[in-house]
Amino acid sequence: MRALISVSLLLSFVLTTALWSAELKVPPQVTAGNAFSISGAGSGQGTFYLIGPAESIKRQVDLANDIQIQSEEVEHVGRYTAITCGGDQCSSGHFYVHAAAPDRLGLIVHPSRVPVSNPNAISAVVFVFDDFHNLVLVPQSVKLTVTPTAGSSISESRNTQNGVTWVRLNSAPKGGPAKIEAAIGKASEIRVVQQVASDACNLQMKSSWMSGKLVIETNPVRDCTGNFVPDGTIVSFTKTDADGKTTVDVPLKKGIAKVEMPVSGQAHITVASGVVTGNELNVSGGR
Amino acid sequence: MIRPAWYVRKMTNTIHNPIRRFARITATTCLALCLASLPRVSADTSLPTVELNAEKMGPRQIEDLTSKSIPRDYAFAWLSMAQALDTNRKDLLGGYFTGLAKENLVQKIADQQKTGIHLKYEDHGHKLEGLFYSPAGDAMQLRDQAALEIQILDGDKVIQTEQVTLHFIVLMTPGADRWLVRDLETIPEGKP
Amino acid sequence: MKRLLAIGIFIITVVLVGISWFTSGGLARQRMYSAQTPEEAVRLMVSQVQAHNWDAAYSRLANRGEVDKAAFVRDLAGSNGSLLTYANLESFDVWGLHQTNQDAIFRAKLHYSTAVGPLETFRDLKVEHDGNTWKVFWPTTRLPKLAPQVIPVNYLRWDVINRGAQDDWGVQNVDNPQVRIISMNALQRPDSVVLVGEIVNEDTIPAYVNVSATLLGPDGNEVAQEGSFDKISHTLLPKQVSPYRIDFPGMRMDKIKSVRMDAKAMLIAASADPVIEVGQQHIETDALNKKVLRGQLVNQSGQIVNIPHVIASYYDGNGKVIWVSDGYVDQELLPQIPVSFGLDVPDDVAKNVQNYHVVVNYYENNNS
Repeated sequence: MRALISVSLLLSFVLTTALWSAELKVPPQVTAGNAFSISGAGSGQGTFYLIGPAESIKRQVDLANDIQIQSEEVEHVGRYTAITCGGDQCSSGHFYVHAAAPDRLGLIVHPSRVPVSNPNAISAVVFVFDDFHNLVLVPQSVKLTVTPTAGSSISESRNTQNGVTWVRLNSAPKGGPAKIEAAIGKASEIRVVQQVASDACNLQMKSSWMSGKLVIETNPVRDCTGNFVPDGTIVSFTKTDADGKTTVDVPLKKGIAKVEMPVSGQAHITVASGVVTGNELNVSGGR
Repeated sequence: MIRPAWYVRKMTNTIHNPIRRFARITATTCLALCLASLPRVSADTSLPTVELNAEKMGPRQIEDLTSKSIPRDYAFAWLSMAQALDTNRKDLLGGYFTGLAKENLVQKIADQQKTGIHLKYEDHGHKLEGLFYSPAGDAMQLRDQAALEIQILDGDKVIQTEQVTLHFIVLMTPGADRWLVRDLETIPEGKP
Repeated sequence: MKRLLAIGIFIITVVLVGISWFTSGGLARQRMYSAQTPEEAVRLMVSQVQAHNWDAAYSRLANRGEVDKAAFVRDLAGSNGSLLTYANLESFDVWGLHQTNQDAIFRAKLHYSTAVGPLETFRDLKVEHDGNTWKVFWPTTRLPKLAPQVIPVNYLRWDVINRGAQDDWGVQNVDNPQVRIISMNALQRPDSVVLVGEIVNEDTIPAYVNVSATLLGPDGNEVAQEGSFDKISHTLLPKQVSPYRIDFPGMRMDKIKSVRMDAKAMLIAASADPVIEVGQQHIETDALNKKVLRGQLVNQSGQIVNIPHVIASYYDGNGKVIWVSDGYVDQELLPQIPVSFGLDVPDDVAKNVQNYHVVVNYYENNNS
């Protein structure tokens, strides 16, 4: 008798498990934003559940009829679980939604400012998305175009891998903005990189006397490729004389740094900008 | 060890009745299987294990600190997601999710609040493989193989429990003091 | 009987009032008011300053005819948003340097609590015997006046428009400035480990910088983390160099295997003015026999600099940074008017100093 009960229990468990995990017939793959239907999974009224990456949908359905899935219910790529429950029995199925056609681009360009004549200094990373901001993982060809300040554009096509492609670029020897454009189909994005002067090169100062004070000013400060160093860049003047040491940090204005200093006796003057040093002057004071 | 009399009797019965013994063993096995398959998923508060393999990742070489913070922050992201989906608390997502990943989860929790559905995750660990680390260090793409037990509940009623190995494409970007999950997409096995 | 009781109550009241006057220091005040000694004269004057009782303090001066009361108050309470206007005289010490029957010189050490921490100033005051009391000579400080003029400033300023918080990820933003730590030196001080060095803004835009450091133990674990706080010039214009110093109190060098430096830079709206000249820099030994880097600041622009902050890095013969010290100047910088400063240099450092570099950070009432 006990054996009979045990076998019955085993059978009922197997049956229940089989019914519980009954497979719902769902399409294996769906494109994001495309409506479709799931075949009816029984009879009578039941509850339909759809669990997706951004969805938790529940509605009453007639299990005998097809269940309509609206386009807006499958806009996000990923794994979806569809479940129908009628009475105590539930059926479930899984399907994957993949991205629609490429429609948007994410273009990340670094840095936004770059010193001139710097190899591989600019990087551009392109992410390809569909209309619903899903990353398009199927390889796509992206056209990258660089338009320098002077000269003609240069274009190149790159294939994405896992929805991403990237490129490294040299900065031009001339300062000014460079445009970087990524395009796929109708979608395009443009970024601008400011190419700025590099460190000061051949920093030179000269001195003159005005109303008993020594006036020191630099020549127009340029980098090694001849670009003007931007205004506001600090130039440090240091004077050492009988009174001790005097330092003044002066910003470049109109390309020149200028300072007035009193001098007593023999004075030694140096100039620097950041880690770049310039010429030195020896002057006699007391004029 | 002193045993009671009924114990000796019971043992004797079992040994001397092979059909009963078979039925008993079968029933015990079934019971054990049933118990094993019973829902036991709960909103675990311990961090899931995350292993990172960044050997093939490029073009930027991963920094020592980043190679430590990525698995740590990804584990915290999964922990906070599991807790948020179990308790319908959107505020738990802010710490480790941003952008589309956060928007999707916020939408999902809003749906859960409307429908009464909620999810419980038991996280058995993640194997992360680095795919892409941008030259400027501002984006990292990874593939995750996650072993999960997912339970779908409608109110208090369990409507499905499954043990699965899922594959994700993850996009992480640096925040002020941690890496944030910006995109989390489940992909079919073997892809891309 | 009633009359007797009233008289008794009156006498008791008078006695009690007398006792309370005595115990509350009335006698001492009376003695000080009459300033029987030069020290009492100085103490009385400074205690009136402490109580902001400017009339009483001013009345204690021997040279009232020469000192304008407004200048006296300005000297002690600050003006034009200078550090002293955000300060409170907490306490003071007075001791004599020289004394005769007719005059004396006393030194007053004034302890202020200010918005940027404690501040100590010294005043050497001459005291003179005047009749039956002593009075203080306040050093006359004539505020130099600049002739009315127009100081042309080619106003150079950077403003920043950042990406909005709601903009999509991947939309272009303006990058943070590039800064670089150009030197770092770890020193064992008697009670702490100190990191000193310099940082440069390598970019073409201003940067708001902060340097922090993490000490790592022999097992690679973090032992301590600290930031440079105000021992750095936070706003760096393009190519500007600032010293920095990070203190780890109670730390020992033998507990540290390595140091992880972190320089953070943010975009900041900034102005290239004012330009401040740091002149007459020299190291000398002061009256307390301590080494001090002295110099004077000259504000070359036309606007007032409210609170100047001087930071100096000191180099040894190899050009290595061996110390960084800083200090706030309690006076504002008026256009073209030199203001002196002094920074303490530890004796063991001073003997190795071959060169130094001084930068001036400043705080203004509206922005910093």
